Amino acid sequence: MRIVIGQGSCGIAAGAEKVRKALLAANINPADVSITGCIGMCYLEPIVDIYADDNSLTRLVKVSEQDAPAIAAFVQSGDVKEVEKLVVSKEDSEFLSKQTRIALRNCGVINPEQIDAYTAAGGYTALKKALCELTPEGVIDIIKTSGLAGRGGAGFPTWFKWNAARQSAGEEKYLICNADEGDPGAFMDRAVIESDPHNLIEGMLIGAYAIGAKHAVVYVRAEYPLAIKRLKNAIAQATEKGIIGENIFGSGFGCDFTIKAGAGAFVCGEETALIESLEGHRGMPRLKPPFPAQSGFWRKPSNINNVETFANVGWIINNGGEAFAAMGTEGSKGTKVFAVTGKVKRSGLVEIPMGKTLRDVIFDIGGGMKTDKPFKAVQMGGPSGGCIPADLIDTVIDYKALGATGAIMGSGGMVVMDESTCMVGMAKFFLDFTAKESCGKCIHCRIGTKRMLEMLERITKGEGKEGDIELLEELCYSIKDGALCGLGQTAPNPVLTTIKYFRDEYEAHIKDKKCPAGECSDLITYKIIADKCRGCTLCARNCPVNAISGTVKNPHVINTEKCIKCGKCYSSCRFDAIVKE
Amino acid sequence: MINLTINGKAVQAPEGATILEAARLADIYIPTLCYDEAVEVYGACGLCVVEAQGIPKLLRSCSAKVSEGMVINTESERVVQSRKIAMELLMSAHDGDCVAPCQLNCPARTDCQGYVGLIANGEYDAALKLIKNKISLPASIGRVCPHPCEKACRRQNVEEPINIAQLKAFAADMDLKADSYVPECKPATGKTVAVIGGGPAGLTAAFYLTIMGHSVTVYDMMDKMGGMLRYGIPQYRLPKEVLDKEIAIIEKTGVKFVNNVKLGKDFTIASLKKDHDAVIVAVGAWKSSSMRTPGEELEGVYGGIDFLRAVIQGNAPQIGEKVAICGGGNTAMDACRTAVRLGAKEVYVIYRRTRNEMPADKLEIDEAEEEGVTYKFLTNPLSFNGENGKLKSVTLQLMELGEPDASGRRRPVPIEGKTEEIALDSVILAIGQKLVAEDVAELTLNSRGNIEADPDFFTTGIDGVFAIGDATNKGASIAIEAIGEADRCARAVDAFLHGQALDTRVPYISKRDESTIDYSDREKKSRINPKVLPADVRNKNFEEVSLGFTEEEAKEEANRCLECGCREYYKCKLLKVAQRYDIHPERFAGEMPQKYTHDENAFIERNTAKCILCGLCVRSCREVMDIHAIGLLGRGFKTDISPAFSLPLDQTNCNNCGLCVQLCPTGSLTEKFALEKQVPLNEEYTEEFVDIDGKQASVMVSRYNGKVLRVIPNDEISRNSGLTREELFAKLS
Repeated sequence: MRIVIGQGSCGIAAGAEKVRKALLAANINPADVSITGCIGMCYLEPIVDIYADDNSLTRLVKVSEQDAPAIAAFVQSGDVKEVEKLVVSKEDSEFLSKQTRIALRNCGVINPEQIDAYTAAGGYTALKKALCELTPEGVIDIIKTSGLAGRGGAGFPTWFKWNAARQSAGEEKYLICNADEGDPGAFMDRAVIESDPHNLIEGMLIGAYAIGAKHAVVYVRAEYPLAIKRLKNAIAQATEKGIIGENIFGSGFGCDFTIKAGAGAFVCGEETALIESLEGHRGMPRLKPPFPAQSGFWRKPSNINNVETFANVGWIINNGGEAFAAMGTEGSKGTKVFAVTGKVKRSGLVEIPMGKTLRDVIFDIGGGMKTDKPFKAVQMGGPSGGCIPADLIDTVIDYKALGATGAIMGSGGMVVMDESTCMVGMAKFFLDFTAKESCGKCIHCRIGTKRMLEMLERITKGEGKEGDIELLEELCYSIKDGALCGLGQTAPNPVLTTIKYFRDEYEAHIKDKKCPAGECSDLITYKIIADKCRGCTLCARNCPVNAISGTVKNPHVINTEKCIKCGKCYSSCRFDAIVKE
Repeated sequence: MINLTINGKAVQAPEGATILEAARLADIYIPTLCYDEAVEVYGACGLCVVEAQGIPKLLRSCSAKVSEGMVINTESERVVQSRKIAMELLMSAHDGDCVAPCQLNCPARTDCQGYVGLIANGEYDAALKLIKNKISLPASIGRVCPHPCEKACRRQNVEEPINIAQLKAFAADMDLKADSYVPECKPATGKTVAVIGGGPAGLTAAFYLTIMGHSVTVYDMMDKMGGMLRYGIPQYRLPKEVLDKEIAIIEKTGVKFVNNVKLGKDFTIASLKKDHDAVIVAVGAWKSSSMRTPGEELEGVYGGIDFLRAVIQGNAPQIGEKVAICGGGNTAMDACRTAVRLGAKEVYVIYRRTRNEMPADKLEIDEAEEEGVTYKFLTNPLSFNGENGKLKSVTLQLMELGEPDASGRRRPVPIEGKTEEIALDSVILAIGQKLVAEDVAELTLNSRGNIEADPDFFTTGIDGVFAIGDATNKGASIAIEAIGEADRCARAVDAFLHGQALDTRVPYISKRDESTIDYSDREKKSRINPKVLPADVRNKNFEEVSLGFTEEEAKEEANRCLECGCREYYKCKLLKVAQRYDIHPERFAGEMPQKYTHDENAFIERNTAKCILCGLCVRSCREVMDIHAIGLLGRGFKTDISPAFSLPLDQTNCNNCGLCVQLCPTGSLTEKFALEKQVPLNEEYTEEFVDIDGKQASVMVSRYNGKVLRVIPNDEISRNSGLTREELFAKLS
């Protein structure tokens, strides 16, 4: 028997390392215990996979230290009854079985800290094939056939960028991986690096060969220490095996590999700001043109792709461009990874072929809403994206179709919201993020996002005035047109799409001074319905500011002047006696 | 060469040129704030955006290169909207005063801070010239103006406002002493203008139009020019000798005066129009308003301005010993103080509110009281009572203050049944004045009975006929209001004479939020008023009450100025771009990114509240000088420019090359003037060469009124010379 513990950051945060230690202490042969990366079901962490000698899998979920003896007993006896309550349900296992995993193919399967595990899974065969059997142009051709487009957000055809960098004059070229995953709610890049770092290295080396770069650089968030650790380890292993360095596989092609930890700014995910940061400058975007393919890192031709993009490359080289292009729609090929979070039942990483619908992701795979409140909207693409309302749930996952709604594919963040989410508040949340992350260089973004945020703050406080929606729209379009980089140009999207689909909510805040979702604390009051109150005193005991008075078995009263609208009474009442107005 | 089209014009530019460079070669203006040839393109301001046919995105012309057959529009609706919003956003976060509040509150927009500052520096003739840009009769106006400038003066937040009006009178008096300044006129245009009315409005319009090269004749019904300044203001406040001298200067510029001719009797607007290319109607308001109080027809009841005129003309009526003046404005003050001087024993001022609500100048109210005037506050005449047609007494209704009215002043309300009677020999009604409507029968009047004139173009219903001053729109106001209109009208008429229409509305100006200004570090220093004749001397004659400032007093008072206006106002690129677009930054009013800061070394002053983060200073310090004394700090809205390690500028390795100051498009980084009192001045810059270690080095020299204000290094040699500004000054020939 093999015992594999999911140890991505998410698993570790949920207690996977404690579980591993408990298992070792519970008389399990250490040689049988190993780790893997992110299995992809965040809501079920920690996850322990137990492979029988015939390789059949028993997956245990929400495992805690206390479960170690039971697991040990199961390992001993093979009697699944020992761990019955931990075994993943059929519905939950569908979360993975309904996916099509290419970029994440090894995630949660192999041990990310051992290069042999990667090669055993067929790793580095694509690199060898590319270097020894294909010309750089041949590689670019296969990528072109595959239809692979940038997975970081912009969705630009990968072959085109590679070709442009290849065509650029100059001996010295750079291949850069953008691993500065900054969208709140997106974590697929982290999962790839933590769970399958060699896949990234292989994809990058193929890319370096294609464009003619002798240097590969990964720009990774400093907030991803585990990813950095595992990637460093992987680079060391690959270097030792001669996969990184001079004359790889005897092909004559050589490439070195470095990691640069980012400085913690969202804008450094914008490629020119990333280059500035790599060079040791303040992370601020450069003007384009010139594009990085002509003048990038140290003013040399450079190509920058996202982690997920590279994670597909090895598979494409091995399986052919046609196989990849066979999945998806006319304009969007292959698969895409989504980080599904929010009010959805099953959250985690979902990789599915393009052409599926949002309904497939949120309801079929994600299991629908966590609460009894109906689905309201999904925010696609993080702060740069937009919201898609419930009546567009059958929108197809395709760059063009998603773009038509006002949202974007983006890096694949999907925040699912139910009816209790205020859409003005949601827009304000993302604007607050972009305003704080603006680098401060261009006027439209630096001041424009701040002014938009101030307007949204006023509106959610009930201080909005007639004309605010129109002014917001005017400002939004102007920022989209005038901002220097992608951060600013897309910052208005959450506002524009919420106005587009939920204008009535804005109007309710502005005209009636009401928040229909009951989320904006300045616009709601809590009241106890005397008839329903049993005088249990639970609300009064939960109130942090002693705003509720009343005696046992008599109706209680909220002092609205003292009330800070935290909602604790509302959620603690067992008789539905407290209402939000 | 690449061929392209910009705004429909065929343009050629070398290969590799940017669209901006191509446009500049073709003399097509594209605004920029963060661009300069000296440093690498940056793309922050986004003002240089243009639209290119077939390209969906707006292009930043500073970096986008030309290509064959490109079709560019630099002023499309989308481009203009983008620039407009950029400027609105920028100005919503720019915490600075372009000009001082005193200037903004002056109806004539006189550069008060400018002349006050010049006086502080002892530059009296320069001060006078600056005043004469806006005011044709400064010695007179300095004496009589109720000075709205002082009401806006921020020094009152420390203790008291600057005595701006008296400083103006001081500079003008210095000029009248000898060799008075007569402005040079532009070459004759051959156009003629008739001005009806020789008061402050008419004289001012005539003065400026003459300077512009037009031939102007002023027609006036009285025997001398000056209008209400002459016939409505007592001698003790404005000696007619002063007015005469100032009018003589106007005449010296070439204005022709025709007196004793009356509109409607001796000529009509139509008849003047036949002989002149334009006519300006500035007839004033010469009729005293009625109070509609029973008994106004009695003998012994006089109109305020009628009374004052009669006294000035030497026909003072017999007002007796007991005199009451109705009203609380400056005319009431002139009338009561004149009555005292005519020998009245008991002089009352009847005013229905209290002292605090009186519209008259505070000094006037106090001085009248010193001279023996008794105020009857909170009273209102119910009736003037007479015997045999002659006034005997007034019955007063006693009042109290109620709720504030539309003007914000508390409304006086009668106290039921409470009255008082005062025995009187005469009463003077100083409650307002009106246009004599019959005189201007040719023009359209508004509902108030005044001439209807466009408030910005000054046009009337008749082509080529303009109207200004007390006779128009809202009616009688203060002289400086009429002068301001006259100045703007002169420019409108000049444009008209050149076949154009000019909107004289003042373009956008940046103002600070008053509530954020901190005065706690200011040392208190009392306001200086000129000495006056003792009350018991002056109330017996018509000698001028004020003795005027001595030179020492004037300098000391002028030095109290807080220097609110921006030193870079005249060359501020930011303001010039802002004024090109119809911007309303108040739409985006919100938090200011930076507090008002002040950091300086020997030559350079820094204030990040005015910074627009174009980065030119940081980039030039790094890229051109390789010094790195300043850098960007923080992120997003709170991004700031800061000297290295957040030290004060003089503790960095800054070598004072001045390049950052030269490139700063606004007043965030400025170089001090070689003046004791700093004052915004419209300097003239010339490039000059000095010898530094045997090499020719370029410097930019700024001068004002012949005096060198700044010397700024202008090439590699001068920037790296290590010479102080004093040493550079010494090198100028």
